[in-house]
Amino acid sequence: MSDNIPVWRIKYLPHSLNEVCGRTELIQRLSDIIKERNFPHLLFIGPEGSGKTTIATLFSEEFLGKYFKSNFQKVYADMPLNSEELKQARSDAYISTSKIGSLAGKKVTTPAFIQVKIKPFIELKALGDVPFKILIVKNFEALDSNQQAFRRLMEIYGKNCRMILITTKASAIIDPIISRCQIFLISPPKFEDFKGEITKIVDQEDVEIEENNIKLLYKITNGKIAEAIDLLQLSSMSGKKIDNTVLYQNLMNSQTNLVRNLLLICLKGDFLKARELSRKIQSNYKYSSQEVFKLMLKEMLKLPLSRYAREKIINLIADADFRAVDGLDTDIQISNLLAKLCDFAEIL
Amino acid sequence: MKDTLERPWVEKYRPQSIKEMAIPQAKVSGHRVALDEELRTFIKTFLTEIQNINEKNKKIRIYNRTVEDKKQKKELSVPPEKSAVLLEGPPGVGKTSIVYALANDLNMEVIETNASDTRTRDALESKLKETVKSRGIMDFIVQSKAKLILIDEIDGIYGVTDRGAVPAVLDLIENTQFPIIMCSNDYKRNLQTLYNKIRKIEISALSKDEILKVVKRILKKEKIDNFNPKDLNYIIEKNEGDLRGTINDLQGIYQGGLDTDTSELIYQLNRDNNEEIFSLIRELFQDARTLQQARNITDKSDVDYNFLYKWINENLPTFIKKTNELKTAYENLSLADEVFGRIRKNQYWSLLPYFYDLFSGGVVLARKYHPENEGFRRINFPRFTSTGFFSLTVAEHSFVEKIQEKYNVSEIEIIQNLLPFLRKLTSDSRKYLKLVSDWFDLDAKEKKLLTK
Ligand SMILES: Nc1ncnc2c1ncn2[C@@H]1O[C@H](COP(=O)(O)OP(=O)(O)O)[C@@H](O)[C@H]1O
Ligand SMILES: [Mg+2]
Repeated sequence: MSDNIPVWRIKYLPHSLNEVCGRTELIQRLSDIIKERNFPHLLFIGPEGSGKTTIATLFSEEFLGKYFKSNFQKVYADMPLNSEELKQARSDAYISTSKIGSLAGKKVTTPAFIQVKIKPFIELKALGDVPFKILIVKNFEALDSNQQAFRRLMEIYGKNCRMILITTKASAIIDPIISRCQIFLISPPKFEDFKGEITKIVDQEDVEIEENNIKLLYKITNGKIAEAIDLLQLSSMSGKKIDNTVLYQNLMNSQTNLVRNLLLICLKGDFLKARELSRKIQSNYKYSSQEVFKLMLKEMLKLPLSRYAREKIINLIADADFRAVDGLDTDIQISNLLAKLCDFAEIL
Repeated sequence: MKDTLERPWVEKYRPQSIKEMAIPQAKVSGHRVALDEELRTFIKTFLTEIQNINEKNKKIRIYNRTVEDKKQKKELSVPPEKSAVLLEGPPGVGKTSIVYALANDLNMEVIETNASDTRTRDALESKLKETVKSRGIMDFIVQSKAKLILIDEIDGIYGVTDRGAVPAVLDLIENTQFPIIMCSNDYKRNLQTLYNKIRKIEISALSKDEILKVVKRILKKEKIDNFNPKDLNYIIEKNEGDLRGTINDLQGIYQGGLDTDTSELIYQLNRDNNEEIFSLIRELFQDARTLQQARNITDKSDVDYNFLYKWINENLPTFIKKTNELKTAYENLSLADEVFGRIRKNQYWSLLPYFYDLFSGGVVLARKYHPENEGFRRINFPRFTSTGFFSLTVAEHSFVEKIQEKYNVSEIEIIQNLLPFLRKLTSDSRKYLKLVSDWFDLDAKEKKLLTK
């Protein structure tokens, strides 16, 4: 059955806490909680791709047992509401629009977000033989100042529902929230555990990879399991044996590499080609200009450039990002950066 | 440039008279009322009351002057429920508009304060009290032209910094010489003390028919007759009774820049206009050598600037090839966009001249090198890219839903993370393409996303 799943990262998803790769201490603590049948609100902090949501979901599943479905909800603090939800939000509590433009008003989703996504769930008592419901809020930091509103919610409805707040940025979480939560730091698995997981997959899928290449895989993916499995699967397509050349080859066309390419094209001074690529990146991956700038910054740091060049490029990216805050047309703002990079390349 | 297009349509077509408005449905403590009549009566009643009270106060003041301090009588004022009303309703149904329209009809002047601008008690007080509360000289002015106070977006008044604002408003209501109308989107518990004292009119969202009427009038005035009724319907529906949003979207779609899905629509709408834009762009880049020339060229044209600066962005690299010239051009164009953003966000219309000069002169004058023979250069239609708002096309949306049935992660994760992987996985392998689309049960359209 599971053999039929064509996507390895889905095929090898853990189905219970003890199938989670590594992090044994953490898993032990969570298992203890499940036995105790009680826990305070939790805050999961860890880098992107470290498995926070997977772990939180499995934990909730095991905690709630057969009552899981009716007592569990997962929401994304950074997702705009869809029109149905907005409609609902409007009938419950109107979204204040002091700006012009229908989008301008809708973008301020947070009060509506709480109204629509949080309140209806936490207001009602848990169903069945469980002490309370569980609500997972992903990307909690995206709530910004509206985190304040949560602090009351956590108190008022804490009896009905415990929350698991998930974030990559501990620094963006306000103190009153931190003080109301038990904190779990979730780091990527250690190499040994990572290796175990990869080896298991490699055996089942009948491919081969040497230990030093597993190390390489660990390094280039920063231990992010899903990303590593993707890369492994792509690499497996070109043959049974997976070596570093194959790994690099497949790494070379992932989307961060599109951004790296974008930088390289700029540094070659080809504005037209750069603009075309940047548009492709924007429309295919739905990146905002802000995200494109951040990715460019990240990729830039990986390029072999002089200190002077780095400093200059950081300056250009920061300036472009700054302008884009007030600007309306992301394409113009990104093109601005590209043009300046092309020009800078000429000087180099 | 058409100067009629210089402002957003919502401003341009802000109703000047009640006659131009769709009157939204309204209720007072559960009972239907005619909004315009209700407001008229309110103003009239207030004006009679205040006149009476001012007469009486004059006498009291004379009396007070003649007795010693202790026995002084208190001056009278109009009771709060007669001096202020609150219009509460969703955004974009015409709350602000009806106040101005009515004032116009009654030949009154509106003194507006926006609660979100004036957050502190001090600010509110100084802005309002001095104009309003001071008697004597003001009594005289009242007779010259009647005034009306509008406190818009009163729900924005309560924040961390403005605990003093509610008493300030209450104080104002108790001492006002002019009728006060307040508007609000939200019911705010914090404002309960305020609500208890005044009359509240609840306004509901506009119906589709009402909206259609207003919209059709605008389209007619803009001489747009080829708007596809289906698209119109879609836009109206999407805005759920918000006329401001509807009008903004219409303008956005007509003038370009909202999102990729509508670009086809925009293209059709502007087909006749294209030739004119083509020659305008050529003229700008090829002939303009001074700022004045650039201004002249844009001024005489009929093309709307909302639109024009996107054309300039698109075609800039066709005319400007040298990287240092490109850099200067984009420096100015991106600044123009930033300035325009601020204008739109904060209504700084006084910045508009910079915007014009930056996107036209500032861009084309960056071109120092003009070849002997320009040759023919193709003008491209602007590609409308994302506005920075995460929005999915219909196909992407259904794709995400199919995936989520089997793999429950967020939309963003699917689009930014899984989809690129699936693309690579399936791009070189027909076998995988089939396996993946079968397993996720993708239809042809969704499958196309994989091969994009
Ligand atoms: N009832 C209406 N009749 C005509 N135009 C309207 C109406 N409601 C809104 N509009 C249009 O929308 C714009 C914004 O309306 P506004 O009165 O500011 O809404 P609100 O104050 O309720 O948020 C107006 O300038 C006008 O163009
Ligand atoms: Mg208003």
